[in-house]
Amino acid sequence: MTKTPGTILLVEDDPADAALIRRGFEQAGVLNPVHHITNGDKALGFLAGVNEYADRITHPLPVLILLDLKLPGMTGLELLRWLRQQRELRRIPVVVLTGDEDSNTINAAYDAGANSYLVKPGERKRISDLVGKIQQYWLALNEPPQLVMRAQKPE
Amino acid sequence: MVTNKLVLLVEDDPADARLIQRAFDKAELDIAVTRLTNGDDAVAYLDGQPPFENRVLYPVPAVVILDIKLPRRSGLEVLSWLRNQHYGLKRLPVVILTSSRHSVDVNRAYDLGVNSYLAKPESPADLTRLAATFHSYWLQLNESPDVQS
Repeated sequence: MTKTPGTILLVEDDPADAALIRRGFEQAGVLNPVHHITNGDKALGFLAGVNEYADRITHPLPVLILLDLKLPGMTGLELLRWLRQQRELRRIPVVVLTGDEDSNTINAAYDAGANSYLVKPGERKRISDLVGKIQQYWLALNEPPQLVMRAQKPE
Repeated sequence: MVTNKLVLLVEDDPADARLIQRAFDKAELDIAVTRLTNGDDAVAYLDGQPPFENRVLYPVPAVVILDIKLPRRSGLEVLSWLRNQHYGLKRLPVVILTSSRHSVDVNRAYDLGVNSYLAKPESPADLTRLAATFHSYWLQLNESPDVQS
């Protein structure tokens, strides 16, 4: 029996970019389900497993997060800082994927605990190539961490 | 003018170091690799302590490849030291490259703030492919932080 590939969480408010990223994963032959969320607050809800996301069977924790920084509500950096303080979630690899090339933002993202920082290509269609490289590195080559499960929590 | 990006390779096993170096060479990559053989030297190099105080000769690398099992200070100890620096150096991308796939090591590395964890492949051909993928990701695609400020 083949193991179901882990979910990729895509946090991206731009619908055109999100569609291109999804297409990029399809073109790269990625079988992992991609769960797309359009704002930071909802992404936090998904990761914390609250409200509509309480069921971890239908909404499993992601193996990789692609995070835009400019988001409605909670920003990507705020979400990242929160994530790195959660015992059960802090190891999840986060790749920032944004249009912001400012070095202060790049530094802030690494300081907040980003694993990698990628800038969206100027020519939008090229985002699919970028997604292919994300697949090649993060899904095929990198050894993922194990997430700390609730059941293992010491009483 | 030297424009090559520098990879700091911290690897005590000479055979593995040679294979990794050869993999980078074979992939015809435009990079320089400086190799150190133990954890104490890695910290001294990154901190600019003697004999590595000359930053022209010993520049801050673009990325560090760390083995875990190292003499004196382990790779995880080097990583922990680096992430606790109070200036930009703490942001330096670090990739663990080791033969251990033990989840204890993998998890500990992520908890300490590693950027990525790679397992050494068995065959030299796979290692060459890994070197090429590593290069195109970390030295071409990824945006590096500013580690000097």
